[in-house]
Amino acid sequence: MATRTLKTSILSLGRIHCHIYGVNVRNPLNRATYATALSINTSSQNKGFPDRGNRGPFNRRSRREAGDPRTDRMPVEQDWTAVYPTATPFRQGSVPLPVRMGFPVKKGVPPEKKGNLELIKIPNFLHLTPLAIKKHCEALKPFCTEWPSALDTGAKCDEHFPVKVESKDYVSAGTSLRNPSARIVHLRVSFCVNYDYAMYLLTVLYHESWKMEAWESEKTVADMEEYSWEDSPSQKNIMSTLVRMQVEGEGEAVREELLGRPEVQEYRDSVTRLKNEGESESSMHQYRDAVKKLLNL
Amino acid sequence: MELETRPETFSIFRTQENDPACQSEQHLGQYYTVPPSHFHTVFPHGLPPRYQQQVKTFNEGCVMVRQPALELISHLKRADYSKPTLRYLLYGVKGSGKTMSLCHTVHYCSTQGWLVLHIPDAHLWVKNCKELLPSSYHASRFDQPIQASNWLRNFRTTNEHFLSKIKLRQRYVWTKRESTEEGRPLGELVDMGVSRVKSSSDVVGAVLKELRLQAGGTEGGFRLAVAVDGVNGLWGRTTLKKEDKSPVAPEELTLVHNLRKMINNDWCGGAVIATLSQTGSLYAPSSAYLPQELLGEEGFDSMDPFVPVPVSLYSEKEFESCYLYYLDRHWLQHSHSQTEEGKKEMIFLSNRNPSVLERLCAFL
Repeated sequence: MATRTLKTSILSLGRIHCHIYGVNVRNPLNRATYATALSINTSSQNKGFPDRGNRGPFNRRSRREAGDPRTDRMPVEQDWTAVYPTATPFRQGSVPLPVRMGFPVKKGVPPEKKGNLELIKIPNFLHLTPLAIKKHCEALKPFCTEWPSALDTGAKCDEHFPVKVESKDYVSAGTSLRNPSARIVHLRVSFCVNYDYAMYLLTVLYHESWKMEAWESEKTVADMEEYSWEDSPSQKNIMSTLVRMQVEGEGEAVREELLGRPEVQEYRDSVTRLKNEGESESSMHQYRDAVKKLLNL
Repeated sequence: MELETRPETFSIFRTQENDPACQSEQHLGQYYTVPPSHFHTVFPHGLPPRYQQQVKTFNEGCVMVRQPALELISHLKRADYSKPTLRYLLYGVKGSGKTMSLCHTVHYCSTQGWLVLHIPDAHLWVKNCKELLPSSYHASRFDQPIQASNWLRNFRTTNEHFLSKIKLRQRYVWTKRESTEEGRPLGELVDMGVSRVKSSSDVVGAVLKELRLQAGGTEGGFRLAVAVDGVNGLWGRTTLKKEDKSPVAPEELTLVHNLRKMINNDWCGGAVIATLSQTGSLYAPSSAYLPQELLGEEGFDSMDPFVPVPVSLYSEKEFESCYLYYLDRHWLQHSHSQTEEGKKEMIFLSNRNPSVLERLCAFL
């Protein structure tokens, strides 16, 4: 995409600037030259455009000619915060760096910054140089008050401000501006403060948690936080298998007796472990041993 | 496929004991030869494709005797077949030899005269199906005529001798004019399914039902081995779509529905041996190999209680054996592979994974 843009930009610039490219205007003021000479397309594209003269919808002659890029007139000790005071897209004429970005074609280099859409698309932090941040701080200072001198130790801060909220900001390169880790905020409460109130709160919460709401009875198996073996398909399966394996009759008594057997307990523990803790080689082995014992293998 | 008879030579990696029933711990790590006559009948569709190519190249089919298969065979020997069916599940990382262990066990069952129901890959039934017909038997289900008729054909090849012995216990009506009466041999049903492709899925269902009822029966009883490769394909999702582009759930497929009934342990007189397979599975991450990951909640609850049998990578002895076998078959042509250094390189590159080693040696 960048190459196509480059081609069209050369095509459009070619007719206007052909007189500039003809003459060597590389170094009019003897500034240091950057290696912008290498480009991936030859600049013979302007031949392709038929000359319409002054007629036609794209009447270029009367358009004001663009001047030199600002980079040519930038002294080294300039004030960069004046060039990029706020967050703005990348302007290749304002950034005096020979930046290249994009996928190189075979035997080529990444395309230069002139007309490079890739550089314009990405977010840039050119407005946040250390000097700029210093200026921001200086500007904010009149609105700030002094840190209270009484709060000079950490212990005193904890005493007066027991609830602390920590949030983190990240600067990272990725597909999106937002870093998902930045969504985690820590809230810290220390308990040594106002013990009575804390106890009161905990008692209230405890009693509230015991209250059953009407909608809680609709809790399904999928909502359960932990796997419980009772009334699970696993229990039903093993019970029916064992009952069929026994020759004696059915009934509640037989079920109770089966449930009480140590092998069944072991099996129950292994299945619960598998489901709650997730799988691993060791839990699989435990399940294996339990099943083998249970089914008399 | 011409298979020559082997000359009697003593070698450290081969055993002369070609009957799986007589193999034991002392044969661990050694290769036994599957008799050529068994190849067509026992394994018309069950072997992994690369192994089939190897058999053609080497002009013999040799299977390594390994711990998981021996364990399975010993369980099968000692199990009580009047109790509900036991389910065995082979699991392990990709390429560790689950399908080969399954085939070894199937060979054992076959030599012992069991009826073998081998489904080579259950995933083939839940994906890439060109024709999906609505089932005539059950309104909301779908038939897969091509897959069903292919499977019936292979089933017929494997179990020729049983087809005339087993008689149907009930009458099956296919259309207004066609029906199969009670008491007819099973072979007739299977032939009908192969020829009338449209109703082949229902024929599969009927065959499975008959076998389930009659296995382990007292009169003319036979043992039934249900061998399913890639059993995790039966639960989960399919890539098939109905005409209105909504996805088809596995239980809406007649074949899958009937096979699930076979895997339940509400019948007796046989065993269910299954393997998990990530290759060919749908919507499963490539690093998954443990039972619960691949079976999912529903699958695990259906299979529970089952005996998990882990299949590990080659041990040192097994690797030696495999290496010597390839040398013996002149498969390793590169001069460096015959040195100690080359062997160490192969161990390092393959991490003793059987299928990786086989692919690696194909280049040498």
